[in-house]
Amino acid sequence: MKAVCWMGTSKVETLTVDDPKLLNPHDAIIKVTRTAICGSDLHLYDGFIPTMEAGDILGHEFMGIVEEVGRGVTNLKRGDRVVVPFTIACGNCSFCKKKLWAACDNTNPNAHLMEAAYGYSGSGLFGYSHMMGGYAGGQAQYVRVPFANVGPLKIESDLPDEKILFLSDIFPTGYMAAENAQIQPGDTVAVWGCGPVGQFAIASAFMLGAARVIAIDRLPERLDMARSVGAITIDYSEDDVSVLTALKDLTAGAGPDSCIDAVGLEAHSTELQGIYDQVKTKLMLETDRPSVLRQAIQAVRKGGTLSIPGVYGGLLDKVPFGAAFGKGITMKMGQTNMHNYMQPLLERIEKGEIDPSYIISHRITLDDAPEMYKVWRDKKEQVTKIVIDPWAERKVA
Amino acid sequence: MSDALREKPNAEPLPKSAGAGVIVNGRYLPPPVDKDGKQWVRTSAFIQASPQDLYAMWRDVEAIPLWQEQITAVTRTGDKTSHWVMKSGDKTLEWDSEILADEPGERIAWRSTGGDSDNAGEVIFETAPGGLGTVATVLQEFRMGKFASMWETIVGRNPKQAVIENLRHFKALAETGEIPRNQGQPHGPRGTVGGAKESLYGEKVETPPAMDRKAS
Ligand SMILES: NC(=O)c1ccc[n+]([C@@H]2O[C@H](COP(=O)([O-])OP(=O)(O)OC[C@H]3O[C@@H](n4cnc5c(N)ncnc54)[C@H](O)[C@@H]3O)[C@@H](O)[C@H]2O)c1
Ligand SMILES: [Zn+2]
Ligand SMILES: [Zn+2]
Repeated sequence: MKAVCWMGTSKVETLTVDDPKLLNPHDAIIKVTRTAICGSDLHLYDGFIPTMEAGDILGHEFMGIVEEVGRGVTNLKRGDRVVVPFTIACGNCSFCKKKLWAACDNTNPNAHLMEAAYGYSGSGLFGYSHMMGGYAGGQAQYVRVPFANVGPLKIESDLPDEKILFLSDIFPTGYMAAENAQIQPGDTVAVWGCGPVGQFAIASAFMLGAARVIAIDRLPERLDMARSVGAITIDYSEDDVSVLTALKDLTAGAGPDSCIDAVGLEAHSTELQGIYDQVKTKLMLETDRPSVLRQAIQAVRKGGTLSIPGVYGGLLDKVPFGAAFGKGITMKMGQTNMHNYMQPLLERIEKGEIDPSYIISHRITLDDAPEMYKVWRDKKEQVTKIVIDPWAERKVA
Repeated sequence: MSDALREKPNAEPLPKSAGAGVIVNGRYLPPPVDKDGKQWVRTSAFIQASPQDLYAMWRDVEAIPLWQEQITAVTRTGDKTSHWVMKSGDKTLEWDSEILADEPGERIAWRSTGGDSDNAGEVIFETAPGGLGTVATVLQEFRMGKFASMWETIVGRNPKQAVIENLRHFKALAETGEIPRNQGQPHGPRGTVGGAKESLYGEKVETPPAMDRKAS
């Protein structure tokens, strides 16, 4: 089959590899009908996440048709149409029982690597480094899905793939970000980053009762998209704009009730501290560039909530913890507990309350993926979300 | 002191102080330190199953190759004795083992009695606080020397990590009926660097059960 492989930092190739096979009793093989490139894939592309190996198949957002199931799989059969969560959960450990699916104890074959690096291990993830399981990803024609009784959500309706696909990660991620923001009716919520996660956080914040959402980014097409769903936008790259002043001005000096960091460890910064972070990460003295996190802590109102769906990987410098303590803020974060949100969000899609396909800007083939990773990283061609049809042939112009 | 403080409505009795125990008379007990060529490892896990079931699973020595790394066969040679075979590539280690203490639903202790290994160990199963599941604690001791160094070189895991991994596998098997595995998946060319990383990450150690003994 064809698959998108990580071959080193900034090096992605579409290659022909073996087809996946059933390896464990609860495995399923899925024929992938749609997959996508995520902001999280950029952290791999840019070499921020350790323990990638040359040859690793990328991709954690995918859906498709069940091709084959192991003898222990009772929920699915050949021919079922499913969307698969990017976090792999066993359903039986104490964390799964508490619905903390992303903290599952039993799905990471390389838990010892994560324990060595972080002192704990989370669930396995598709296509997201060896420390997080070393599972082959879904930017491919077929993918093996372990613990298939627990994760995949069956789609009975005939809604097109594009409306369903984002249940694999970014829609639930944006939704959990809004839920973690503890929004009360009438609240003002600020969202940093208007990528796919930010867009769904904005939409979900409104669903959960926010009166106003303030969206922060620098890319005009993304800010336009945020305004189109009702957000007020701030372009942080404009010369005369200070995000902190803007947020004060928009909240009568108090600061937003909730702040959502939908940017994560690769935040850009126009300020001096951005240069400081770049130098320090290059010298390996700091692993992440937390300029948005710093801003969000400074901006949030006293007693407010900070929700962090953006991914962080390691050690962070100069985080204004004194302000966080002094204001008595609440911080909530983490990999999305996908399994809690897929079914209820599917129902919202089926009822027509939201059509998540509005964020798609590019539809490509597997062969286009290597160059589109570059476009995605550089945010060229007004890219907002790239969806791959693994069976489409590349058009020769 | 107010009554509320004296009553402790949710307090549990202290765990019993078996050898592998972490708490003795209310005090935390750190794991034994390595000394005189002896290495110790203590590890524990919270498992969603009853102490009785977990005891039975551990006591079924002939089924141990289903969850212990590199153990290819365990044969019962008596009520309390067994013969162990460990393989990696073309290298084989064999030893005999005997059970020293056997307390159904609570505790098993064992030691090797000859062959290529000098080891002793204990596992205890205790109902977890709140009555939800079981805390399994393993204390294992090795004499460094032939066994440990051979194990280290052939297995690509130091023996302490192997004990930790084996309890992890035991828990996964008990809770889900399988042990998560990523060996045998497709991938692009690894090159020399990717291949070296695979070894470094311990991914060449076969996840039990060995593929050729999996009933599929
Ligand atoms: N928690 C989870 O489970 C989970 C799941 C999916 C994605 N994520 C993470 O969410 C984050 C966003 O993902 P995405 O797919 O939307 O990625 P993306 O790269 O498309 O979006 C990031 C956006 O942040 C903007 N940005 C950069 N610096 C900024 C700054 N200083 N202020 C404001 N905006 C800034 C960029 O212009 C871009 O639009 C990533 O870190 C990703 O890894 C987390
Ligand atoms: Zn993603
Ligand atoms: Zn679990």
